[in-house]
Amino acid sequence: MEGRGHPVNRETISRRRALQQAALLLGGALSAPTVAGVCSTATRRAWAASPAWAPRTLSAAQLELVATLTEHIIPQTETPGARAAGVHRFVDTLLTDHYPTAERDRFLAGLAAVDAQARSRYGKAFVESATGQQVALLRELDAAAYAATRGDDAWFFRRMKELTLVGYYTSEIGAMQELHVSPFGAYRGDIPYTAVGRAWA
Amino acid sequence: MITYDAIVIGSGITGGWAAKELTEKGLETLVIERGRNVEHRKDYVTEHKPSWEFPLRNARLAVGTQGAEQYPIQARTGQFHESVKHFFIKDHRNPYVEDKPFTWIQGDQVGGKSLIWGRQVYRWSDLDFEANLRDGHGVDWPIRYADVAPWYSYVERFIGVSGEKLGLPQLPDGEFQPAMEMNAGEKFVKAGLERAFPNRRLTIGRVAILTQALNGRLPCHYCGPCERGCSTGSYFSSQASTLPAARATGRLTIVPDSVVHSLIYDAAKHRITGVRVVDTTTKQTREYAGRLVFLCASTLGTARVLLNSKSPSFPNGLANSSGVLGHYLMDHHFRVGASGAIEGLLDHYYQGNRPNGIYVPRFRNLGDDASRRGDYVRGFGYQGGASRQGWARGGGEPGFGVELKRKLHDPGRWSMGMTGFGECLPREDNYAALSDQTDEFGIPVLRIHCTWGDNELAMRKDMAASAAEMLEAAGVKDVRTYDANREDGLGAEPGLGIHEMGTARMGRDPKTSVLNAYNQAHDVPNLFVTDGACMASSSCVNPSITYMALTARACDYAVAESKRGNL
Repeated sequence: MEGRGHPVNRETISRRRALQQAALLLGGALSAPTVAGVCSTATRRAWAASPAWAPRTLSAAQLELVATLTEHIIPQTETPGARAAGVHRFVDTLLTDHYPTAERDRFLAGLAAVDAQARSRYGKAFVESATGQQVALLRELDAAAYAATRGDDAWFFRRMKELTLVGYYTSEIGAMQELHVSPFGAYRGDIPYTAVGRAWA
Repeated sequence: MITYDAIVIGSGITGGWAAKELTEKGLETLVIERGRNVEHRKDYVTEHKPSWEFPLRNARLAVGTQGAEQYPIQARTGQFHESVKHFFIKDHRNPYVEDKPFTWIQGDQVGGKSLIWGRQVYRWSDLDFEANLRDGHGVDWPIRYADVAPWYSYVERFIGVSGEKLGLPQLPDGEFQPAMEMNAGEKFVKAGLERAFPNRRLTIGRVAILTQALNGRLPCHYCGPCERGCSTGSYFSSQASTLPAARATGRLTIVPDSVVHSLIYDAAKHRITGVRVVDTTTKQTREYAGRLVFLCASTLGTARVLLNSKSPSFPNGLANSSGVLGHYLMDHHFRVGASGAIEGLLDHYYQGNRPNGIYVPRFRNLGDDASRRGDYVRGFGYQGGASRQGWARGGGEPGFGVELKRKLHDPGRWSMGMTGFGECLPREDNYAALSDQTDEFGIPVLRIHCTWGDNELAMRKDMAASAAEMLEAAGVKDVRTYDANREDGLGAEPGLGIHEMGTARMGRDPKTSVLNAYNQAHDVPNLFVTDGACMASSSCVNPSITYMALTARACDYAVAESKRGNL
């Protein structure tokens, strides 16, 4: 069994640079639309945070509730959190363009249940409750979601968490700032983790 | 009307090969493709697109979700994602009737499924070619490994195959480029498995992906999702490999958007004289004349064309004097195996998205007493791999907030999985026939009747148990077996392996087979069938390279016979 590790450049190669390298490698073989699509940061940002963007399934209040929940799950640290990554917009897109009606309704009912619990406990909607109150409620939901016997709340909170993780780590912020994307060029099967230092997105 | 020297039906893995071989041998060749044109590079519209540019983040489009409405069958495969849906057929364009669950995954474009195939390539051995003769299931193959071996080499040198030589009789070595590397988890399991089972091997997958440049195609750059198309031509596809070679001869014509209705048979000449197609855009019928026909329309597509080519001479379908046409349909049964966790190795990681996994060659029923099983015949191999858990693990564990984000900053523990791919016996009662319904082009659609038999079900038990046994012996922890098969349900139903084969099998006797030893129809000398339809048994290894080798071999024979005036 071989155990040799390959030295690897500690500096993270950005995806854009990787693509430029790939394009050079190909002698321009990458199609123009591909390069334009990948390299146009402006295009990407336009989709992510266009001022014209509006939710199509969630109400303004529901959108804010989702944004708040996702930011609790993946908060801002040294890197931006779920809200900055637009995870709430992704959730609205998924609910609108991907979920079957029954699943969408179940998710919306789950959102309503979170608000109902906040109201019965704190007398306010979830987003208007104090941060400490929000966290306390979410801790309960999280514990219940992974308990041996699980109710309907469990489905919602697990789904909320899964959507947050997918939405965050497949976003440009999550994939490029928090984690990183494996550069194109070579496969190295066995390298020291210290040479990489973060999970691949 | 032009009379082509040869007409090839289908432009996928075998159609592309037939086009290359026939044009290079001087034949003016027409390739007819039911789907749209797809140009190398230009039409790989999702290649290298980062996840955040997909509105659904490259979601798996499962049955019943929005985005899969036009793909109720295609959405059954786990490969059906937002990024590749344009390389799968919209099911209304070729519907079929399921007597029992059977999933027919289809391409609908120039290049066919060669754009989205799994790229694993393994030679058959005489263990496979002699299997029917030895245990009496199916009819004896009219060929042996020695007949095909040089053609395997011929194909491997052209398509480029990376892999490791093992010297195993049941899995012959080929013409390999340097193998891709295993990761630390895989090396750990390999060492433990081979220590515990000295007659078993764990190797890197043999894969039609370049690790060295070849004929203007570049080595893999490890971006990962091959199935979106590859501008560097690093994996074998018709677009990257065979069609450019055919085009370079100046003797290739391709007509896309043309679904074949039937072959035109001249009873006086005992020959096919042409092909009748329906233009999928205008729905008008057209005919093409040709001296030689290579039917490479995919296993079930080919069966359908022949079954629908009825004439007074062949009231039950062309070249079907035997009555076996449509029967002996097979697929590999899979989605059964085991997985578990590897402790430690946390200081080991990898870089690059390797589009390949590991392979454990067949170790059951090899002909010796030690490997013989009493509960089933034939065998299976495993595909799989090790990796470190990524951010998705966070959804399965309690915790949120800063603590969760910090945890997911690092990869998780190593896990290792193995999925069996098992041989399926040829059985008469697994078949495709014409139904009484027609598609939007006026062509009768297939009715498919296919189930796993007792042999496959008995083998699956061993496939799960042996995977677990080997993983545990190798030191893998928390080993769990799985079997997705559900009786009369979806999960591991026939067809899902996308290795469907049979329906126009080769054989020695025209009374019990459709094709002879050169893939030539016993009944019609100028008709050759070289896609998966020709298979008389299924082996347990991925079949595409065998189709390619048989196609090149049949082209060589057909052109020689043509020159001798025998066609």
